[in-house]
Amino acid sequence: MAQDPLQQTYDAVVVGSGATGGWAAKQLAEAGLKVALLEAGRAVSPKEFTEHMPAYKLKYRDHSPEVVRTRPVQKQCYACMEYNYEWFVNDLENPYSTPPGKPFTWQRLRVLGGRSLVWGRQSYRMSDNDFKAASRDGYGDDWPISYAELGPYYDIVERYVGISGALEGNEMLPDGQFLPPMKMSCGEVQLRERVKAKFGHTVTIGRAAVLTQNHNGRLACHYCGPCERGCMTFSYFSSPFTTVKDAIASGNCTLLTNAVVSHVDMDTEPNKARGVTYVDRLTRQVKEVRGKAVILCAQALESTRILLNSSTREYPNGLANSSGALGHYLMDHVVGAGASGRLADFKTLPNANEPARPNGIYIPRFRNTPSGNKHSRFIRGYGYQGGAGAGFNFSAEGYGASLKKAVKEGEYEISLGAFGESLARWDNFVEIDHDLKDAWGIPALHINMTHGDNEAALMEDAGAMGAEMLEAAGAKDIRVQAAVEVPGMAIHELGTARMGNDPKKSVLNAFNQAHDVKNLFVMDGASFVSSACQNPTLTMMAVTVRACTHLIDRFRKSEV
Amino acid sequence: MKRREMLRASVLAGAAAALRPSLATAQSAAQASELTPAQSGVDGSKDLAAPGWKPLFLDEHQNETLIVLSDLIIPATDTPGAKEALVNRYIDLVLAAETHETQRAFLNSLGYVDGESMRRSKAAFRYLSREDQDILLHALAYPRFGSGWAGDTNAVADPGHSHFEALKGRIMTAYYSSQIGEKELGWDGAFAHGPYQGCEHPEGEHK
Repeated sequence: MAQDPLQQTYDAVVVGSGATGGWAAKQLAEAGLKVALLEAGRAVSPKEFTEHMPAYKLKYRDHSPEVVRTRPVQKQCYACMEYNYEWFVNDLENPYSTPPGKPFTWQRLRVLGGRSLVWGRQSYRMSDNDFKAASRDGYGDDWPISYAELGPYYDIVERYVGISGALEGNEMLPDGQFLPPMKMSCGEVQLRERVKAKFGHTVTIGRAAVLTQNHNGRLACHYCGPCERGCMTFSYFSSPFTTVKDAIASGNCTLLTNAVVSHVDMDTEPNKARGVTYVDRLTRQVKEVRGKAVILCAQALESTRILLNSSTREYPNGLANSSGALGHYLMDHVVGAGASGRLADFKTLPNANEPARPNGIYIPRFRNTPSGNKHSRFIRGYGYQGGAGAGFNFSAEGYGASLKKAVKEGEYEISLGAFGESLARWDNFVEIDHDLKDAWGIPALHINMTHGDNEAALMEDAGAMGAEMLEAAGAKDIRVQAAVEVPGMAIHELGTARMGNDPKKSVLNAFNQAHDVKNLFVMDGASFVSSACQNPTLTMMAVTVRACTHLIDRFRKSEV
Repeated sequence: MKRREMLRASVLAGAAAALRPSLATAQSAAQASELTPAQSGVDGSKDLAAPGWKPLFLDEHQNETLIVLSDLIIPATDTPGAKEALVNRYIDLVLAAETHETQRAFLNSLGYVDGESMRRSKAAFRYLSREDQDILLHALAYPRFGSGWAGDTNAVADPGHSHFEALKGRIMTAYYSSQIGEKELGWDGAFAHGPYQGCEHPEGEHK
């Protein structure tokens, strides 16, 4: 008879089944450790994928009042739609608060795989220009790990996930283990050629966790387009059908869905975690899972929320918080700037039957680089995502037969949107809002974040530079944006349980282990010391694999 | 409106069945109430064409005016237009679920067209001759702005044009998201059209 999953002590309890939790479960279970993987949401099945359902089959064609009513925050993200909104949290059940005049948008999924089901799939390495940025420009703190230390784990993750991309030899964006790159459109190639000629900057195809050839039992992309609604060929990387599947297949991983973790439980032995307590999402029963190691991969702010909610008499300010840094140094890439225009000389007509490439182009950071000049108005930098192609002209003027014709003739559009580094600042923080609880009675977060002057200066420069590069590419009617979007909008929340070598200034050590509680780990974006400007998921996964490798080693030496 | 969002159909079911992981069966099935209608496979496209359809929000005059207006903005040519695509029914459905403020704004725009029609021709828009309807619509669609000189502070947007654009936006969204609209754009109904080919021109010869 199967053992009651709650009556045993696991080697590791992993909280969260997304990009990082999936990797932690896979690594540990395949190493022979007994793992309990907890997910706050339900299981997910390929039967519910909707990527091949035309919009006209939706009752409201993506204007559903149910989405407006139950997901007013979540629907600020393009990926939350009438097709799939049940994957996203119900905002009415999952509140958080912000100070007056300081909005923050927090996008969350509670379903097996979490945000890996709907992520943008852009996968970029960071370099020592990021990990050691503080040593180079004097702002903030270095990471306690270097690129050389993380490189082998990037390799492992890329080889397994399958990242399509092009080798560029760019000093700011290390190359990786790539599958063949996707192709660029004519407009994108023209931009690449002219930007290189005029500015010396690199324009490359996006490095995406989307397969361009069959890989690890998954099929190559069939270019249908909307990955965020699921993928019946599993061509983009999402954890339920890759890492979590492997973890379960090992026979060493017990998956517990609908387990809304409220806090970490401490042992009677000092400074030792015993497991976690969760509320069953459906029955509201409170249960406990015990583990020799507790690993939080719940998403940066959720992991920190669990630690803050784990206060006891011994740990009055949240668990693993002797430094006081827990909750602080919240980051999210600054977005809101870029440029767009028309390549009027291009006569390609839009084609409804053209393969839909689920990827764009990327321009790596070119400001404040080792080989370039120091910018006078800001530190760090930004990268662009963008694209060019013929599109139907739904903003054609007039009406009647001429309007129908103009729509089909289309426009050849080109655009660039910047993602800028968000500086780690003590003043950007989360804390528990003791007057606000979620539907399971768990105290909610109060999120206090604003972008600062450096982020605004980055966006101003990104708008102007974007316009200059599009102009060089031959674009007309260039529109410039240099706004600073509401924090959270990049959906790249990072920090709040930072790594560091000094226990007085950081929450975790270089192996994501809490300084204060040696069998407690945070292996997600909460551990980031700085944000860089690259999309962070690849680095989060590499950091997780590195930390798990270290933990497995400690288990083997019986140190846990 | 994102074109890419509108273009999907089913061709790879066999491949998916071959790949479907045992994981799905190992886990408890999702509760039906926690799937969206789309995730449950509901086809919501048939409701609007149901016999005996009645508007949920618009009154008869407003509905008829919207039909006339949509037929002028996206007429049947060698392809069907907005009237055949039942854009009035879709717009009514969405309006019925929207906020009072949004509903009021829509009725205000529709009423503006009637108001202008009454002022000019002493008859509601739907009762004008096609020629007079066209004259009025032209005036709203191509308004005269200020002098056109940069910095001209007298250049004020024509409210009639704003109302026209609001109505046109609704009609365009409804039309091009319909099955007729998909066909109008040339979509063949398939979701996979082979790998993305990209540019193969020599340097400097892109087009």
